[in-house]
Amino acid sequence: MASSIVSSIPLSISDRLTAGILALLIGGFLVFGAGLANSAVLHDTAHDVRHSYGFPCH
Amino acid sequence: MIVKTLLAALVAGLIAGVFSTVAQNARVVPLILHAEEYEGQEPAATPPPGTSTEQDHQHSSQLSPSPLTRMLSALSPITPAFAHEGEHGEEGGIMFGMSRFSGSLLANLVTGAGFGLLLAGVSLVVGHPITLRNGALWGACGWLVVHMLPAIGLPPELPGFPAADLGDRQTWWIATVLLSALGVYLVVLCEEIVAKLIGLVVIAAPHLYGAPQPTDISSSVPAVLGAEFAVAALATALASWLLLGVVSGYLNDRFLKSA
Repeated sequence: MASSIVSSIPLSISDRLTAGILALLIGGFLVFGAGLANSAVLHDTAHDVRHSYGFPCH
Repeated sequence: MIVKTLLAALVAGLIAGVFSTVAQNARVVPLILHAEEYEGQEPAATPPPGTSTEQDHQHSSQLSPSPLTRMLSALSPITPAFAHEGEHGEEGGIMFGMSRFSGSLLANLVTGAGFGLLLAGVSLVVGHPITLRNGALWGACGWLVVHMLPAIGLPPELPGFPAADLGDRQTWWIATVLLSALGVYLVVLCEEIVAKLIGLVVIAAPHLYGAPQPTDISSSVPAVLGAEFAVAALATALASWLLLGVVSGYLNDRFLKSA
């Protein structure tokens, strides 16, 4: 029973927060780069995707 | 364990990204290409030069390229310049000289991975795991926050549509997404009725403030295309998010057992 509890809670609270904040930062960076960054090359590459997802474009 | 969690989110996002690319090519991308034919033309009450009203109704081949032309332009390694490219001060063009389709695929993979990580990040920070059972709900909430609620002020727009200053719109959009995320969290995951009411106020706040609107709303792009596009774009995004949520939940159940 004790071992099953250990294996069913793989992340401590601090680990969970670390992973969560890390995921938010990386995810935000990726979405910003593809969806919002004001670079002509990024804009032209992601053009159709930006419009499809309704990101503000042009 | 942290790496495993992030990896699961990443994989779910990449799968959703591939799906998005296919789904977008069904309806949304053809509408974008169609609208680009009108982009840059003078807004006019009369049909564009060279077309009679009759042709306009029939979607003549003059107006919309044949499926073969579209396929060729999608597969071509060198894409025609976008009609609005000249607006940029710096040199544009698609990364690595990719075709328009592969550019979209890359962008969808990056965006999908980003959405996957954001969804997992929120789930980890608020302490509610994404499972196969609640994955679709997580996905639907993600769509609500990132697409549906901002679309009330700034609907998905076609190339050539009138729009306010880009910086203003992006600022309003980011603020709305953040406030909507907070609002949806308060409404969905908080037990207290007061928290739910505050959540509704937070969701409504950016819309009461108002999205930046263009001063001149005349456009040469037919309104029908815009209406079709807005619905198609939101529906496609919803399908992608539902898939993202369900796949995230499945991977979590299967490989992490963190529930």
